[in-house]
Amino acid sequence: MLEVVKHGLETTVQELPGRIGHWEQGFPPSGPADAWSFRLANLLVGNHRDTAALEWQFIGPTLRFHRDCAIALTGADVVAKLDDGVVPLWQTIHVRAGQVLACAAAKTGARGYIAVSGGIATASVLGSRATFHMAGIGGISGGSLKTGEQVPLGEAKPVRKLLTVVDSARPPIDPLASAGLSDSRIAAMLGPNNTWLEDNSVMMFFDSEWTVSTNSNRTGLRLSGPQFTFSPQAYAKPAEHGSEPSNILDHGYPVGGISIAGQTPIVFINDSPSAGGFFVPFTVPRFDLWRLGQARPHAKLRFRRVTMAHANEGRRRLDKLCSSQSLVEVDSVKA
Amino acid sequence: MADVDVKSPIPGTFYRSPAPGEAPFVSEGQVVTEETVIGSIELMKQFNEVYAGVEGTLTSFVAGDGEAVDSDAVLAIISTS
Repeated sequence: MLEVVKHGLETTVQELPGRIGHWEQGFPPSGPADAWSFRLANLLVGNHRDTAALEWQFIGPTLRFHRDCAIALTGADVVAKLDDGVVPLWQTIHVRAGQVLACAAAKTGARGYIAVSGGIATASVLGSRATFHMAGIGGISGGSLKTGEQVPLGEAKPVRKLLTVVDSARPPIDPLASAGLSDSRIAAMLGPNNTWLEDNSVMMFFDSEWTVSTNSNRTGLRLSGPQFTFSPQAYAKPAEHGSEPSNILDHGYPVGGISIAGQTPIVFINDSPSAGGFFVPFTVPRFDLWRLGQARPHAKLRFRRVTMAHANEGRRRLDKLCSSQSLVEVDSVKA
Repeated sequence: MADVDVKSPIPGTFYRSPAPGEAPFVSEGQVVTEETVIGSIELMKQFNEVYAGVEGTLTSFVAGDGEAVDSDAVLAIISTS
C-alpha cells in the first residue's frame, strides 16, 4: 500500500498498452504520455516494462510507503526527497516502510513517472488500469489520485541490484541540454487528409515554429502559429461536412493525429476524442509521442516530415532502448 | 521590512481575477496573509490558485493579467513588516 499525502497536479495510475479495443465506444487508450520514461522506470524496479505505475504532471505528489519496496523516478526533471534526503532520478531507490517521498515541481519537461516494485494494483476497468481522468475511469475513486487515498501495490520480487539508465538511453527531455546532440523536431507523417491543405501550407507547417497553448492537456496539445490555406477540396464539399474549410464529415481520429480546428492545430494524445469533424493532415507516429507528453506550455515546437519506413525504424529503435540493455549497476558507474 | 517574491509553481497563463470582468483577487497595496489567493494560473484547462505564502502588503504585481508565465517566474512582490 502507498498513501497519497499530497496528490500533486492530476497524478494518475497508468499502464501499457492502455485501454485497447473500446475506441469505437469512445474510450481512448490513455496510458503514459511519455511511454519511454514510463518503461524505464518499471525496468529499474524489476517490473515488466508495461506494469501500472504513477504519472504526475507539472507538480509531483508526496507519497508515504507502507511497505519496503524499490521505486524509480524518471521523466521530467524534479527535486525529489525521500524523508530529508534528495534522491537521484533514473535510478533504483530502496524505500523502507514508513518513508515519505516528496516531489517538487517539474524543472524541465511536463510529466514524471514513479514506478514501484510489484506495480500499482488498482482495479482494471475494461481491461486496463490506465486512468482516463476526464471520464473518471481508473485510480481509486475514479480519475486522478486524491490526497488521503490508499493505493494498493502488487506482489514484488525482491530487488537487490541498484540500477541506473545509461545517458544514451534516456529521452532528451531538456531541449537546451540536448541542443545540437539530437534532432528535437517532432516526427510527423503526411495523412490522412493532407490533400485538404494547399501544398505551400504543408511546407509552411514543417517550416514553422508552433507554440504550445496552456489549454493543452492529456486530450491534446493546442498549438498557435501561422495561418493555413486550404485546397479546393476543402471548399468543394457537400454541406453536411460543415461550414468551415477545416470541417470534414465526422471521422475517426488517430492517436497522434494533428487536426486543424479552424486555424488551430490540435495534436491528439493519450486521452484523445475518438472521432470528430476536423480534418487531420498530419499524424505523429507512436515513437515520437513522448515529445508531446513532455512539452510544456509556451514551448516552441517544430515538426519534421517522416515516411512510414522512418516511423517503423524509429519505433524499433525506441523498443530496443526500453529494455534491460539500457540499465547498468550503479557501482559500475561510480568505478 | 523585507520584500518577498511570490513565484509561480507551474508554467501557464496568469490571471489576476477569478473571471474576465470580475474584480481582481487582490489590489496593489492590499494587506495579505499566507492564505490569501493573489491570482490564478491556467494550465491543462484548470485554474490553479496562487497563495501569497507570507503575511504583509502586496506592493506590486510583476506579471500582468493574462501573461504567459513559466515556473519560478516572479508574479508579485510582498513587503513583510
